[in-house]
Amino acid sequence: MSLWIGVGCFVVVALVFLLVPLWRQKSALAGRHDARRWPTMGLLGALPALTVGLYIYLGAPGILKEQALTQAQSNYDVDGMVKALEDKLKATPNDPDGWYALGRAYIAFSRYADAEEALRKATTQAPQDARIIAQYAEAMALKQGSLDGRPLELIQAALEISYEEEKALELAGLAAFQKENWAEALHYWRRLLKLLPKVTEHHEAIAQAVLTAERKLDIRLGGTGVPLPPPPAEPKKAPH
Amino acid sequence: MIPELGHVALIVALQLALLQGILGLVGASRDNAAWRAMARGAAGGQLLFVLLGFLALIWSFLINDFSVMNVADHSSRFLPVEYRITAAWGSHEGSFLLWTLLMAGWTLAVVILGRKLPADLHARVIGIMGLLSFFFLAYLLFTSNPFMRLHPPPANGSDLNPLLQDPGMIIHPPLLYMGYVGFSVAFAFAIAALISGKLDAAWARWVRPWTLMAWVFLTLGIMIGSWWAYYELGWGGWWFWDPSENASLMPWLAGTALLHSLVVTERRGALRVWTVFLALVVFALSLVGTFLVRSGVLSSVHAFALDPLRGLFILVFLCILIGGSLVLFAKRAGAVKVAGDFGMISRETALLTGNVLLLAALATVLLGTLYPLILDAFGLGKISVGPPYFNAVFVPMMVPVLLLLGIAPWMRWGRESLPELLRRVRWQALAAVLIGIALPFLFEVWRWQAALGLVLAAWMILTTISGLIARRQSDGGLPLAAYGMGCAHVGLAIGIIGMGLVSAYQSEKTVAMQPGDSASLGQYEFVFRGAEEVPAANYSAMRGTIELKRQGQAVATLLPEKRIYRSAQMTMTEAAIRYGFVGDVYVAMGEPLAGGTWSMQLYLKPFVGWLWGGAILMALGGLLAALGLRSKGVRE
Repeated sequence: MSLWIGVGCFVVVALVFLLVPLWRQKSALAGRHDARRWPTMGLLGALPALTVGLYIYLGAPGILKEQALTQAQSNYDVDGMVKALEDKLKATPNDPDGWYALGRAYIAFSRYADAEEALRKATTQAPQDARIIAQYAEAMALKQGSLDGRPLELIQAALEISYEEEKALELAGLAAFQKENWAEALHYWRRLLKLLPKVTEHHEAIAQAVLTAERKLDIRLGGTGVPLPPPPAEPKKAPH
Repeated sequence: MIPELGHVALIVALQLALLQGILGLVGASRDNAAWRAMARGAAGGQLLFVLLGFLALIWSFLINDFSVMNVADHSSRFLPVEYRITAAWGSHEGSFLLWTLLMAGWTLAVVILGRKLPADLHARVIGIMGLLSFFFLAYLLFTSNPFMRLHPPPANGSDLNPLLQDPGMIIHPPLLYMGYVGFSVAFAFAIAALISGKLDAAWARWVRPWTLMAWVFLTLGIMIGSWWAYYELGWGGWWFWDPSENASLMPWLAGTALLHSLVVTERRGALRVWTVFLALVVFALSLVGTFLVRSGVLSSVHAFALDPLRGLFILVFLCILIGGSLVLFAKRAGAVKVAGDFGMISRETALLTGNVLLLAALATVLLGTLYPLILDAFGLGKISVGPPYFNAVFVPMMVPVLLLLGIAPWMRWGRESLPELLRRVRWQALAAVLIGIALPFLFEVWRWQAALGLVLAAWMILTTISGLIARRQSDGGLPLAAYGMGCAHVGLAIGIIGMGLVSAYQSEKTVAMQPGDSASLGQYEFVFRGAEEVPAANYSAMRGTIELKRQGQAVATLLPEKRIYRSAQMTMTEAAIRYGFVGDVYVAMGEPLAGGTWSMQLYLKPFVGWLWGGAILMALGGLLAALGLRSKGVRE
């Protein structure tokens, strides 16, 4: 819309450049009004029509709408989805997967307290789902700013349920890394790396983290290539 | 939003240009004052809207709007801000937009400064310029639109050609285009004169300042281009007889001829038809040159096949413009009254001879530039025409021009007696020969190229200065334009000293250097202190440090670079130059060899700076002459 206002302004300015000199000429044309009227009317008709016509033919008037649409879609979708999910869970609160999805969405919006609350509900409804427990741990850790304490307990609990839980492996590795237990961090992350699909950003990020940890370990061991200390024992898989 | 508004602005400008053309020409032939006034208004509006379009394009480059295809193709997020602005005219599309903007600027200058002209001539000139602008805007909008959009936009652009990421490239194209476009004023005046049949001394007096200004810009543009090639291309050459250089030299030669024949037409009323012809030729050559360089034909004659519309558009336009103006010329030139009688030996003859020689030299350049392209286009094989051809053909033709340059200002208009003339310049001639032959003995070896250059330069300087002194004594003073002429002629002489000495005495050496090594060339010793990596936003560079010593004394530290531009993966050599009055020391990094060793190219370029200094003096002379003529015109 504002584009067309701009087009209108341009046409008016162009007409001013043409019509002001025409109407300021007095001497030779004094009294002969139609000598001015026809050019004026011609220009008033032709200039706007040609400008708009040529622009529609040559330009990309649609691009503004498309750009705006793309912009709005990317905003609208997430907001709308969260809203829809909240409404749905209000109606049918017994839905652990729903609470899990809502919790992740809250994390994406940095609403950690809401995320913790949503995921708490999810864990009470599905206490044996390692994926949900690990996510709950992350939300809690993000809220309190540390993995120590309850989040770490939850991560361990998740790993006891499933030793292939990706989020739990990632967080367990991170917790170990933060405590400078390089070998332990490597253990979790290498395991995680095997599970992740290759050629994804996540895979690359973890591979990078593995490299960092390896370098740290190597430095601590003085680069002697001493074999790594044994990893923490793999717990038996809990029967489902 | 902004790019779309820029696009609309150009569409409005296109219509204003057409109206300016029609209203100007019809208003002149029907003697309609209102229409003529509208044509002037349209010219003002056209400048405003083209400027808006140009600013919109610069804005798109500044904010990295990669949804504009031109930005995506010629810029990137890593490009420094100043080059993002100049990238706006780094592309085919952008450079034609710049051309159009300058054209609109010259038009408005004609509208304002030409108010004192006869109304019909003024309106015709404005009208013809309007039609030229209309063509360029149409070409821009229909075949080379700078505001084409991409949706969705790419995350980053493909960056500006590293060769263009240089301060010299910021000002070179605008100056060159100012020159090319400026000649459109002389062209429009010539067409207007042919239409009306009124072509007299007054006409020549009006055209001269415009032609001079265009010539000044073109001279500076060529000078900056040559200097850029010298420091940027990494081997210290200053003229390569490259087609893109020849494209700017041809209008310059024709423009120089036009300036001199305008003098004859203004002062003596003679050579009118020839002058008009030259005015047509200069602008036609400017157009041919621009299209040659910008269309991509030079890199491949088949470039047009990729975009046949562009090629067709250009060909049709050139045919209409050149063919149309020549037909008009053929029909109307007979109506131009032939006047001005002059003898075999006279200043008119000298200027005309100089003119013909300049055009003959131009023809050799034209042949050497176009012939290989034509052969290639028709599939008749590829030949390369390079410096040996031009040096052997062009240079000898310029020698008599330079000899005439010295003698012409000493000659009388109308008729001159040869013995009397020779008596007047005999001392200058003798002195020039002695100086020219003696001075090269100051160098290690006597070389004829140097002697030739010095004889010619000494001849030009001595005759020009003594001529001005003599004229001042006899006339009791000199007009500003005469000082301008003196300045330009001395400038050319100084440039020729530079050319002669650098081509005779430059020396070079390629050496492999390890850190700590030293090499000597001439009186200089180069000590290599090693190379280190220097990161930058859009390239990474290896920078060598070279200590320059002379007779054991350190005189400078030179820092040549080898750069790799990331986006284009292009390697560039940044030469380090120590500029000096009597010569430059020039170091370029070659290739890295094993173990910290680098190959280095060392050059000594005696008096090379005089080339560009001379060109600046020439431009200054042109400016003085234009100002002198303008103030004279205002007084009258």
